[in-house]
Amino acid sequence: MEADDDIPEAVAVPPRRARFSPIWIVPILAILVAIGVAWERLASEGPTITITFKSADGIEAGKTFVKYKEVNIGQVTSVRLTDDAQNVEVLARIAKSASALMVEDAHFWVVRPRISLSGVSGLSTLISGNYIGFEAGASKKKEKQYTGLEVPPIVTGNTPGRQYVLQSTDLGSLGIGSPLYYRRLPVGQVVAYDLAPDGSSVQIRVFVSAPYDKYVVRDTRFYNASGVDVSLTANGLDVRTQSLVALLEGGIAFETPPGYASSSQAASETVFPLFHDRVTAMKVDESIATRYVLFFKESVRGLSVGAPVNFYGVAVGEVTEVGLFFDPKNLDVKPRVEVVLYPERVVAQLPTGQGARLQALVEQQGIRREFMQKLVEQRSLRAQLATGSLLTGQRFVSLGYFPKAAKTRLDWTQVPAELPTVVSTLPEIEEKLGRIIDKLEKVPLDGIAEDLRKALTSLDETLREARLTIQRFDTDVTPSLKAALNDARGALGAAEKMLTSTETNLVGPGAPGQVELRNAMQELARAARSLRVLADYLERHPESLIRGKTAEPAPK
Amino acid sequence: MTSAAARGLVSCPECALVSRPVTPQAPGHCPRCGEKLVFRRENAIQRTWALLIAATVLYAPANLLPVLATTTIVSSSSETIMSGVIYLYASGSWPLALIVFVASIVIPIGKIVTLGFVLVTVQRGMTTSDRQRTRLYRIVEFIGRWSMLDVFVDTFVVALVQLSPLMSVEPGPGVVYFMAVVVLTMFAAMSFDPRLIWDRSKAIRGS
Repeated sequence: MEADDDIPEAVAVPPRRARFSPIWIVPILAILVAIGVAWERLASEGPTITITFKSADGIEAGKTFVKYKEVNIGQVTSVRLTDDAQNVEVLARIAKSASALMVEDAHFWVVRPRISLSGVSGLSTLISGNYIGFEAGASKKKEKQYTGLEVPPIVTGNTPGRQYVLQSTDLGSLGIGSPLYYRRLPVGQVVAYDLAPDGSSVQIRVFVSAPYDKYVVRDTRFYNASGVDVSLTANGLDVRTQSLVALLEGGIAFETPPGYASSSQAASETVFPLFHDRVTAMKVDESIATRYVLFFKESVRGLSVGAPVNFYGVAVGEVTEVGLFFDPKNLDVKPRVEVVLYPERVVAQLPTGQGARLQALVEQQGIRREFMQKLVEQRSLRAQLATGSLLTGQRFVSLGYFPKAAKTRLDWTQVPAELPTVVSTLPEIEEKLGRIIDKLEKVPLDGIAEDLRKALTSLDETLREARLTIQRFDTDVTPSLKAALNDARGALGAAEKMLTSTETNLVGPGAPGQVELRNAMQELARAARSLRVLADYLERHPESLIRGKTAEPAPK
Repeated sequence: MTSAAARGLVSCPECALVSRPVTPQAPGHCPRCGEKLVFRRENAIQRTWALLIAATVLYAPANLLPVLATTTIVSSSSETIMSGVIYLYASGSWPLALIVFVASIVIPIGKIVTLGFVLVTVQRGMTTSDRQRTRLYRIVEFIGRWSMLDVFVDTFVVALVQLSPLMSVEPGPGVVYFMAVVVLTMFAAMSFDPRLIWDRSKAIRGS
């Protein structure tokens, strides 16, 4: 080491520290991963929407999901009161994949268990908690503010079928979800109801699911099927109900009157009237109606609006108005009844071929009037009050021919025309009965009784006389009668004797008559025998009748 | 008193035996325990920084992403670390909440901050309070493994609570990031050379 002192020592250069160590890959990777996570998070972040509900019953931030077709599409992030503290605002973050569904006509509602007569829904929410249901809309316009529905929509938008609007005077026992029946088959539901804007009627929206919607044609009648329809008719008791559910919960049924079934299918949103019962609904649409006014001369008690007008027992119209009429000419008040007659109902009762022909005629007013005029003026068609039920006293108007009625004219200038009337049969009978009673009253019953008594007295006398006569007969006639009887007995004894002798002469053995008789009988037997022989022969040889006996000589 | 390095000697990082290096460039191996000798860990500061930055970056998803997804019939919920702490506290078990909070929030953040502080001071050539800084570093090295508590709890819960369909627990993505944070901070602490703390120190206390 000493010897080498003059040799300069090499400079030890410490290895230059690498500017960049591969360890930096680690933080770079970390940053990339973090950025990736953040990006993924941001990319999957859908829109946050606000739904306003009346109450946040069962909605919890972070726990309540928004589900569409039972798939989670979002989650409630916060629940808060609106600024006016009237409603609840629910903020929900919607998944990116479902953000396209957030259009302005989408609907949200809270799914909670609902148990009604027509079914149970949302039962799964009993254990899973409520969730927010979602129904996609058709619009393309995006929306972030929604008002939640209080009741879930019955029919989701993509269920095939059609909606119709029914107009009714009241809602009755119907509600959302009330069933709709066609031939007692549940085919739809009531989806909504609302008052008409002017408050005069109720508009009920019904949904008829496909394929049943094709049975809804333009002439289809919708009627309330709630409850039981009991009618006591001439055919007996008629009870009609739809189903037990309809009975309890109400429902609507629809039916198309026969003859209209072929009309075209009703378009969606068509408005139909909702009838109260089937009978009213199914009345054939009477486009042709003629109004008449009737003036009666008797009480119209028991006649109500809607009472039928019968012609030969067939309902051809109905009473539309019952009231009084003041006649200024003779200062009289009389009952005035307005009826409407439907000529088509008469046509409907005719056989098919005839009906079609007459329908064409009926549709022309001139012909119709002429026909009616003929009936009234020539055949004396008259209206008459008739009693429908003696129990309830319900009355109706009956049309019939009364040839004895005074002639009258049908004046078409009056609107409505006056149809002449006759007094009803029941008062007529009453009148007749009254007359009979009057006559009975006039009968002199007292005189008759006096005469009767006199007659009885004289009868008594006669009988007494008769008894005297018999007594006399007893005393005077009987002894001589006895003598006569004795004589008769003697005569009978003589007759007996004579008969005995006759017997000996005529029929006793050896009596000449007897012998002769026996001989005659024998002769007769012989004759009979030969006749039998002849008959036998003829049977064997019938030809002998023509040819005569061949081998043997013919018997005598 | 000068450091061993200043006198051209090298101390074994494992058994602390001070020996003469073979050459200053390649000090060779410890004659006692055979450990490779280095004057100072190579690129210690740079490496520590790199790992620390990586840990810091991953700390964000570790806390923002759920670590535990619980699915029951009733509901399904996912908890992040902090929401879990809040849930535990709200449900009354505050000691448990405290443990989780300390193990999962305080310790990782403390580790990152402490290491960062030590690194900055070393780079800046700070010469004061060497002992405190050394103690800090030792604490960081010691407690590093304990912050895996959260990960352990997570795995235990996931393994135990599998009562499907009634209830099931699944690990969330956050737990992976959290684990990465813990591991990275542990590596960061290991890659740091505490001898750097007192290299620049002029006065070495004690005798």
